[in-house]
Amino acid sequence: MKRNINKKIVIEVNNLRKSFNGNIVLKDINFKLFEGESLAIIGASGSGKSVLLKNIIGLLTPDNGSIEINKTNIVNLPRVQKENLLQDLGITFQHGALFDSLKNWENIVFKVKNREKLSNKNAEILALSIIKNLGLEPKILNLYPSEISGGMQKRIAIARAICGNPKILLFDEPTSGLDPVTGSLIDKLIITAVKTVGGSAITITHDMSSVCRIADKVILIDNQTIGWSGTPKQMLKSKNSKIQEFIKSTNPNLFK
Amino acid sequence: MFKYVFNFMGSIGRKCLNFISLLGHFFLFFTQTLSWIFRPPWYFKRIFSQILDIGYFSLPVVGLTTFFSGMVLALQTYNGFTDFNNETTVARVVLTSITRELGPVLTGLMVAGRIGAKMAAEIATMRVTEQIDALGTLGTRPMQYLIAPKVIAAVICIPFLVMIGNTIGILGGYVIAIYKLDFNPNIYLYATVDYLQWIDIIQGLVKAAIFGLIISMVSCYFGYYASKGAEGVGYATTASVVISSIMILTSTYIITALFFG
Ligand SMILES: Nc1ncnc2c1ncn2[C@@H]1O[C@H](COP(=O)(O)OP(=O)(O)OP(=O)(O)O)[C@@H](O)[C@H]1O
Ligand SMILES: [Mg+2]
Repeated sequence: MKRNINKKIVIEVNNLRKSFNGNIVLKDINFKLFEGESLAIIGASGSGKSVLLKNIIGLLTPDNGSIEINKTNIVNLPRVQKENLLQDLGITFQHGALFDSLKNWENIVFKVKNREKLSNKNAEILALSIIKNLGLEPKILNLYPSEISGGMQKRIAIARAICGNPKILLFDEPTSGLDPVTGSLIDKLIITAVKTVGGSAITITHDMSSVCRIADKVILIDNQTIGWSGTPKQMLKSKNSKIQEFIKSTNPNLFK
Repeated sequence: MFKYVFNFMGSIGRKCLNFISLLGHFFLFFTQTLSWIFRPPWYFKRIFSQILDIGYFSLPVVGLTTFFSGMVLALQTYNGFTDFNNETTVARVVLTSITRELGPVLTGLMVAGRIGAKMAAEIATMRVTEQIDALGTLGTRPMQYLIAPKVIAAVICIPFLVMIGNTIGILGGYVIAIYKLDFNPNIYLYATVDYLQWIDIIQGLVKAAIFGLIISMVSCYFGYYASKGAEGVGYATTASVVISSIMILTSTYIITALFFG
């Protein structure tokens, strides 16, 4: 997939290091995300992918290093400025983190409705327009997250992240637990978001075919740091043993 | 031998240090939440729904407990003061005990059990399922959106609950006095009204507002800093009820001492 990637950096991580009670989870993490670029992060379970994402969105504070969003280091940034920067981010959490006391449509429009003081009716219309592209039926909008299936919850979480067209999208395993058809629907959505809105995306995923579809660049987290990085094409030819294992175990056909 | 003594001392010391750091942490949370209460935006809908929950839906529990306490109080006063068991004594004892102590404290304890547990469980669940993290990434400040409405509602509601509880409690005493002890209703009522003191009522309401602050802050604190997992939610719930009950009983003494020396 060829796309025009600007040289403008939207996220830059430098020398990031994160530990919990002395256990180092991440160290020497360096990468850049350019405007219009789609980055995939892969790595074994427990390798620290979610931790990396949480550092980027300011939920965790790194021990060391800097994280720049639109050229501003968010580490130790005063609250108000941090909030402003985060306005531009659309995030899905690995386990959805939907508000279970709110209906699905309220979940989807949560940020935009508060920000733009939308009426309920307009907000519902907005929610409807978003889930149309996600293969969801309108009738689930008035249900609560606990009343829909796990895969539907996943998509509601994605809808919540992309509502309001944020410039930077961060997805933590958006397609895990989805059937392959819906999974590729989500992939298309990520591509569209990056291509048409001119946004940038970081997607954590275990699905190698998805990586090939959506990513311009791939990062492998291994041994607490970036073990390999390159384009999906390079990845398929890579001699890195971890990468080979990953590809072989998901889809041997890809490797031919 | 010495080793055990030192270990023992050490563990006491560690407990004390933990306690002090908990206090400091709580104080920080308390002041932060307070500061959010006075800053816009205010989520009026959320405040209203909390008021409904804390105020309206607590009425049955509060009414029931204060009613029976009033009844038992009238009966015990009558049995206890055999020498001067007339309308005036019983009416006064019932009135004073209820408006000063029993009304606020019983209401506080009941609400701590009912609402405190619920608040703690709700917020703790939101914490462990990362909903609080998600709130923060969606342009909302969790403390302002989640906790401030609960605190506002509790501080507003509990005084009202106490007023209603007081009335029902006094009514309970009245019912026993008239129907069981065969007192004269007019004299009993007259004694009650005559002995009614503003200072008692105000003191009771001040207590109620402070209990509201205690219950909501303590419960939200334990919920907000719940650790991961179902166990974390359980712990937050228990801790919030136990700690707010203890704090209610401690603070009622302090406030009484301040008001009546
Ligand atoms: N809050 C925390 N406190 C302590 N340790 C943590 C915390 N969060 C994550 N960790 C540790 O960090 C490591 C990486 O966790 P992380 O959730 O980032 O893994 P992951 O790469 O996202 O895995 P998965 O693919 O299974 O989601 C794990 O070993 C975990 O135990
Ligand atoms: Mg993860």
